[in-house]
Amino acid sequence: MRGISKHYGAVQALKEASLSIQAGRITALLGSNGSGKSTLVKVLAGLVNPNAGTIMMDGREVNIRSGNDAQALGISTAFQDLSLVPMMTVEDNLLLGNEPRTETGMINRAESRRIVRELMARFAIRCSPQDYVQSLPPSTQSMLEIAKAVHRNPRVLLLDEATAALHLDEIEVLFDILRGLKQQGLSIVFVTHRMHEVFELCDEAVIMRGGETVISGPVSSFTLDDLVFHMTGQRMARAAGSEAPEPGQEEGTAVLEVKNLCLPPRVRDVSLTARAGEIIGIGGLEGQGQADFMRAVLGAQQKTGGSIRFLGQETDFPQPAQAVRAGMGFISGERNREAMFPDRTIAENLFAGSAVLGSRFRFLSRKTVRRFSEDAVKTYRIKIGSLKDAASTLSGGNQQKLVIARWIAVHPKLLLLDDPTKGVDIHSRQEIHQILRESAQNGMAVVISASDTDELLEIAQRVYVFYEGKVAGVLQGDGKTQEAMVSLMMGLANSQAEAISPLSLEEQP
Amino acid sequence: MNTLSVSLNKFRRTPAFTGFVLFVIALLMNILMQGINSGKPLAFFNPNSYSSLLMTNAPFILTAMAQSLLLIVGLLDISIGIQLALVNVVCIMVPQELGVPIWVGWLCAMGASLLISAMVGACSAVLRLPAMLVGYAFIFIVKGINVAIMSKPQGKVPREIYLPYQNPVAGVLPIALLVLLAVFGLWLLIKRRPLGKHLYAVGGNPRNAYAAGISPVKVQMQANLLKGFIVGIGGICLTLMNASGNPLQAEDYGLRSLIACILGGLGFGGWGSMACGVFGASFFVLIQNTVYHFFSYLTKVISGFAASTYWQNLVSDIILLLGLLVTIITAKEQRKTLKEGLLKQFKGGAARDKQ
Repeated sequence: MRGISKHYGAVQALKEASLSIQAGRITALLGSNGSGKSTLVKVLAGLVNPNAGTIMMDGREVNIRSGNDAQALGISTAFQDLSLVPMMTVEDNLLLGNEPRTETGMINRAESRRIVRELMARFAIRCSPQDYVQSLPPSTQSMLEIAKAVHRNPRVLLLDEATAALHLDEIEVLFDILRGLKQQGLSIVFVTHRMHEVFELCDEAVIMRGGETVISGPVSSFTLDDLVFHMTGQRMARAAGSEAPEPGQEEGTAVLEVKNLCLPPRVRDVSLTARAGEIIGIGGLEGQGQADFMRAVLGAQQKTGGSIRFLGQETDFPQPAQAVRAGMGFISGERNREAMFPDRTIAENLFAGSAVLGSRFRFLSRKTVRRFSEDAVKTYRIKIGSLKDAASTLSGGNQQKLVIARWIAVHPKLLLLDDPTKGVDIHSRQEIHQILRESAQNGMAVVISASDTDELLEIAQRVYVFYEGKVAGVLQGDGKTQEAMVSLMMGLANSQAEAISPLSLEEQP
Repeated sequence: MNTLSVSLNKFRRTPAFTGFVLFVIALLMNILMQGINSGKPLAFFNPNSYSSLLMTNAPFILTAMAQSLLLIVGLLDISIGIQLALVNVVCIMVPQELGVPIWVGWLCAMGASLLISAMVGACSAVLRLPAMLVGYAFIFIVKGINVAIMSKPQGKVPREIYLPYQNPVAGVLPIALLVLLAVFGLWLLIKRRPLGKHLYAVGGNPRNAYAAGISPVKVQMQANLLKGFIVGIGGICLTLMNASGNPLQAEDYGLRSLIACILGGLGFGGWGSMACGVFGASFFVLIQNTVYHFFSYLTKVISGFAASTYWQNLVSDIILLLGLLVTIITAKEQRKTLKEGLLKQFKGGAARDKQ
């Protein structure tokens, strides 16, 4: 791909970007949120038509104007925002647009079943072929998206943040498959924000910034610092509080005390304490009860047993509205589904947290909203065009900072964050971590769950690891290691957890 | 036995199950009420009785089947009823005015139905105009065309053509039922071809279907043409039932067919099947028939009792409303949401009281 440009009105998504890939090589396509990676992938997939530039395959120019054109050229894509149809079954989705047919043009059902069985076994997908996709967890949906792309037997496979929602074991399965495909001569473009995956899997790296390709070369010629520098234009600030504050420095008052919380079938007998000034991590494989636990504390789901004390008071919020008024804030990683009002302005989105506090009929002047929003944008370093722009115009990282700023600006006593940096680039992630640290230093209690174990180990003082709805162990101090975390996540014996973290015992019921 | 139970469980998970439950309830009510009213418990099973019911309502059921196809693909058409009248008008006027054989008139009518459907499809699928507005506009356009072709109700269908439709084959098998089965068979055939999957994919998420190499515009146009074909058949049935033409009839079938589809369990876009339309429309028809027999019975047993059709409509509409409620309760996910919502209301209220 040479000189690829794409603009949406005044916004330049791609500026003469280029990408070169070779058969039998895995190329990492890297960049911050909003750098143009996904747009470049969509150009190659035929979903976005560029304003300028040429695409060459095997030395000849090709014209890709639709998904069909891309597929005809042997280009297959697993999209970041998934191309599955939620209301169709797993089987229908895997074969969509590529259904095996009989001589009479009917769908060959026996052959369909055989193909689907094989694909599901190969990708270790554990569900029924007749399950509706909408009923499956995000990680399974991601695996299905990749399996669907691989099933088309492509020459070029594009994986746009394919691992963002995958668990460790699924990533291992995927990497094995990708290495096998590479051996078969397939060209793979791998878009990710997880830098260790680049060094583990990829042969080449292409880095984009501001819609342009800034550098490309063998992965072995880059260090982590180099990658981050080319992606962000800044060197990594290791000294800027990359280490979590150690426990016991200052015992704050307990803001949240959860005892034996039950919310069957996902949460069983969970106890947790968060003090003012602490950042508490919640880890575990996806679907182990972390999300339900957070929502139970917030009142979005009703617990069936146990107790929740918030600021020293026994609480049982029937709805999140009451929890927010009492001093809680909630930030979800599912920006579009649970946090953003994408078509409303940036100012309205920022003010949404404040708007729910105080009287419903109080007078709100435009000046109040503008001042609040300007302060938030400045304080939390959100890159915007105008406060009047729709929130959807922001890059993923800035959208997430917007949601975080919305809540922190109203100074909640407890901030719950459910995988807040999912799909956020490394630079924005560091900025978000810095914001959370500053908030904790100002006396806020922060409870954060994350699918990325490195992130939790980096930011949290204590990490409660969930397994099958229970706390399998609590990691802190020297016991807070990757190995301990993984063994607890995989449900290995508690005795091991005790050996890792003796302090965990006192936290357990 | 085991296979039967597996199939039953599978059927219970489908959206059509809700419509099926409603259909069975309405059918039992109809059998009971008709039996009480006529004094013969099995009056419903008289071939003339069910044959007449099917003949009269086949055009509506076919309209609901056509509408369900559009809903599956994420569109709708409220002008579908008046398009039925267009087919009827062309069926009558072409042979009458041009002196051509009846079948030529029917072919022209089918062509007109396909043409109008293609135009509606082009507006909503290609030009991306809101389907509701397109349907509303086409009600007036088609009505204008109908009146231009046939200024007032008129015309006739030869007796030898309409009689076979109105009388059951071998005294037991209504032609209308065969027509309905044939159209439903066509749907089953489509469902087992890639087009069937593509209809659902485009209805479920057009952008994702496009990413999978499917053209949403093409698929939505194909759905519109299929709808036109079914409406064409429905219009011919309407002509055989009335044996004459009326340019302004069946307009209300547009909205009624939509309601029937929703009653049958269809969602908007990629959820449900044509069976939902069939069950929903049949529920609609059977409830109206039951209410008719109920009031007819009251007239017999209470001297001096008389109820206008307005009262009959009021009662049947209340039952339809209850039917919608049953739809929510039967659909598992909706039932769960309803239950959670009610619990939340009660618990929330209690908690607020405590505070």
